[in-house]
Amino acid sequence: MGGDPALWSIVALPPLIVAGALAGYAAERCQASAETRVSIGLRALSGERLQALPATLLTSLPAGALTIALHRHPQAVARLVVGHRAAVAMTAGGPLLAAAALASVSWPSALLVLLLTPVMIVFFALVGGAMQARAAEQERSFRQLAGQFADRIRALPTILANDALAIEADKLSGRMNTYAERTMGVLRLAFVNAGLIDFFASLSIAMLAVFLGLGHLGLATLPGFARLELWQSLFILMIAPEFFAPFRRLSEQYHAKAEGLAAAEALDRLLDPVRSPARPVDVIAVDLDLPSRGLVVITGPSGAGKSTLLRRLAGLDGVTDAAEKVDHPTNCVWIAIDCLVVGRSLAEAICADIPPPTSERLCAMAQRLGLLDDGLLPGGLAAPIVPGGANLSGGQRLRIAVARALLSDRTIIADEPTAKLDAVAARTIRLALHEAAAHRLVLVASHDPELIALADRRVHLQGGCDLEGTA
Amino acid sequence: MNADEAVRERMSSRLWRQAGALALAALLCGLLLGGLSAWFLGSVALAGLSAAAYTFNYHVPGALIRLFAIGRTAARYGERLIGHKAALVDQTRHRIALFDAMAAAPATRAVGWQLADQARLADYLDDVEDVDFTRLRSTFPAGLLAVGLAVVSLATLFVAPLALVPIAGLVGLAAAATRRCARHGVSLLSQIRAEDSVAAGAVGAILDSAVPLRAEGRWPRLCWDALQGFSRADLSLKDLRHHQALPDALASTLGPVAAASTIAAAWLDGARSGDLLISVFVAFSWLALGETAQGVSRIAVAALRAHAARSAIARWTESAPSSAEPTEAPAEPSRLHGRALQRVAPDGRPLKQPLALDLQVGRPTILVGASGAGKTSLLKQIAGWIGDDALQGDDTALTASERRSFAMVCLHDAAILADTVRANLFAPSAPDDELWAALEAMELGGRIRDAGGLDGWIAQGMLSLGEAQRLNLARAWLSAKPLILLDEPTEHLDAEQARRLIARLLDRLRGKIVVIASHRHIAMEGVIELPLD
Repeated sequence: MGGDPALWSIVALPPLIVAGALAGYAAERCQASAETRVSIGLRALSGERLQALPATLLTSLPAGALTIALHRHPQAVARLVVGHRAAVAMTAGGPLLAAAALASVSWPSALLVLLLTPVMIVFFALVGGAMQARAAEQERSFRQLAGQFADRIRALPTILANDALAIEADKLSGRMNTYAERTMGVLRLAFVNAGLIDFFASLSIAMLAVFLGLGHLGLATLPGFARLELWQSLFILMIAPEFFAPFRRLSEQYHAKAEGLAAAEALDRLLDPVRSPARPVDVIAVDLDLPSRGLVVITGPSGAGKSTLLRRLAGLDGVTDAAEKVDHPTNCVWIAIDCLVVGRSLAEAICADIPPPTSERLCAMAQRLGLLDDGLLPGGLAAPIVPGGANLSGGQRLRIAVARALLSDRTIIADEPTAKLDAVAARTIRLALHEAAAHRLVLVASHDPELIALADRRVHLQGGCDLEGTA
Repeated sequence: MNADEAVRERMSSRLWRQAGALALAALLCGLLLGGLSAWFLGSVALAGLSAAAYTFNYHVPGALIRLFAIGRTAARYGERLIGHKAALVDQTRHRIALFDAMAAAPATRAVGWQLADQARLADYLDDVEDVDFTRLRSTFPAGLLAVGLAVVSLATLFVAPLALVPIAGLVGLAAAATRRCARHGVSLLSQIRAEDSVAAGAVGAILDSAVPLRAEGRWPRLCWDALQGFSRADLSLKDLRHHQALPDALASTLGPVAAASTIAAAWLDGARSGDLLISVFVAFSWLALGETAQGVSRIAVAALRAHAARSAIARWTESAPSSAEPTEAPAEPSRLHGRALQRVAPDGRPLKQPLALDLQVGRPTILVGASGAGKTSLLKQIAGWIGDDALQGDDTALTASERRSFAMVCLHDAAILADTVRANLFAPSAPDDELWAALEAMELGGRIRDAGGLDGWIAQGMLSLGEAQRLNLARAWLSAKPLILLDEPTEHLDAEQARRLIARLLDRLRGKIVVIASHRHIAMEGVIELPLD
């Protein structure tokens, strides 16, 4: 007969095609959603880890690498745990399904492809191991290359200033050639791997075709290959490649795997909370019962731990001893050259996260600190500020931070507020801090003798103190 | 370097041609392999029913099948290997071009440097990759798909024209879905790029200010906000991938639908047994082509990415002036003067009153003034880094670009390259003892010996600010340029050491024009102070 199965397959074909497409559609969408969920969750977790790191440790992390880590590494890890794992699962299930379909028509052909599987697995293990090592090495060398490229871009003004552009471009070009060669090494191996699988697939199909053909011609009477209907041999021919396809797809995923593993490792390294955070050595047994108002200046030679003491007094660096804190940390306002500048205009930058002052006070304060008649920052309070405050000099940043601090009514903590300023600006800031100290606590670390002279109280740190190690 | 560039370009286009030819060969082998195997089975099955079985020559088709199978594998992997090699060659070329373009961009000299953060730089590296791999990821697959569609459709037209109706319908549907996905893709991708770059900037900024933000309690909110930016971009990416699912699902049905349609159309046309063989051949070619059509949306998205990346890179490569460096340098000047130099700010605005300037060999000029007086800007203007006004040399006027070729600028925030000490001194032709003399004069000898000598590896973080400053001054010491501009050379040095080093340096540079910008008073004999208000 045989008409029946043929008829059946004709009837079943359209719904099967539609079902296959629908399943593919759903799987693709699910995978995208799952990867996004993992990536976002992982990033939130990284944010919490960051929160747990002491501020000193945080500032010692390489900012660029950390930004890349928070941006891309969660994505790469998500691809590894969702996409790559799905491909692995397919490699386990897909061939078995295909073999079952083959067996339903002709068990010897199923046996034939199954017999080829161990050979392929051996190749997978042999080539796969070598490739993983090389892919990891390539991943490393890419990071290295990117790091070198970044370093040269960062140093471009210096390179130009010393007329060394040609030399550096040559050097970069040489390094990139090395990288390209290394990459080709990995790719060659990867392609050999995929090519071998492809070769076995072709080989098995050619063998099947010959056996089936001989069976049809009646020239061979191999059990299971003889006396098959044409539709049966065509079916075998159609299904057999599906047996090998998952292997090939997995072998092409080597990159996702190497990248994901490297990303996971890098995230771990960056955000490991047990990595010895610079624990402050408990040496400053200064029982600082700080007054509620007045100018307190911490002095001492550079390296004596002035900044460290400031951080500890502000309750940072993991020291949670309440006695040492100045009030509640959120109740202070910080002045330093590395203060964040947010907002699009000078007015917004000064008023960031403080109770909004009246426009007269704001204007007067900006005027007093010389921010309104600055030739390099024209436009008064509406002067545009580019994101990150890239158009501001160090002195301008510092004066914005001072204006902001003075306009708020919180405790002021200042780290070298008069450094990087010319004599006039420094004097203005000294007087402003001194004035503010009449109503609230102003805690300053400084080696500016004139500011020290204004202090109501001085805390002198000895040089060579072992706090240095934590700074 | 130009010869290198030409060689690379020729090599890359040769490789691309080979890769294209191999890709085409792989496609044809694949189509023929699928079709021929099915035809072979069909014809042996028919022959087996008759006496022809014993005379059927199965050796020739059998050999052809093996040939196509091996040919397909070889061509496919040859194409990948050569294509990747070509893309890597392009990548090296384009990264160097990007580096040169960034170096030539006026912004680099005018205002410090904005691209210093690694995150944005990583984006640029990715952009170059997106552009260079676009042929492998998009152009080749799209071209092959078009060729394959044309060839197999033509065959179908002769064998079973009726089948073209459902096939054309499906192809049209898939194309429409791909177009729709691409339309969404354009806006989603630009959204993703914008979100990512804002978030990367925000993360960089809060990391720089971690201590103040922690102390004020602003950290958790700002950190959360910044990370949300990345996550919003992730969600947009998810949207894009959801849009991609539809065209991919449609394209995945192309093989089976077209194959079934071809056989069904031939059957309806009255073809039976032997006549059906040709249509079976074409049907299996459709199945083989179906594999090429898999993931059609990825082809479209790769093209979109490359497009976005290209315009991002073009911002650098187009804005860069074609290297207008003078080909033959005028004689080294011993004097540089201007009666009324209009000073400019880094962004080109005129600054304050015009200034009379007279710089001479052997008479170092010190620009003094409060911070914000524009000392650095004037220094850069003298060096020809900003502004485009000429200064009078010995007998001719010297343009900005001519002065650039004479000037060595010792920036106040000069960087230390992650490289050897030797490379960091930027004096490739100077002998070792001269390098050591420079280091000793700048009181760095001991420090460098400890760090492993001239070939020891150093990086920015390994030197203190004072050490970096002294290394920077050693560069000025070794420079062969006739015009030396020092910006805040005493910064990060204590007063006594600063006086010693500057005295030694000025003595060494007596034969050159030297200009110093300083907010500290430098008491030195034989120098001219030029106060800037």
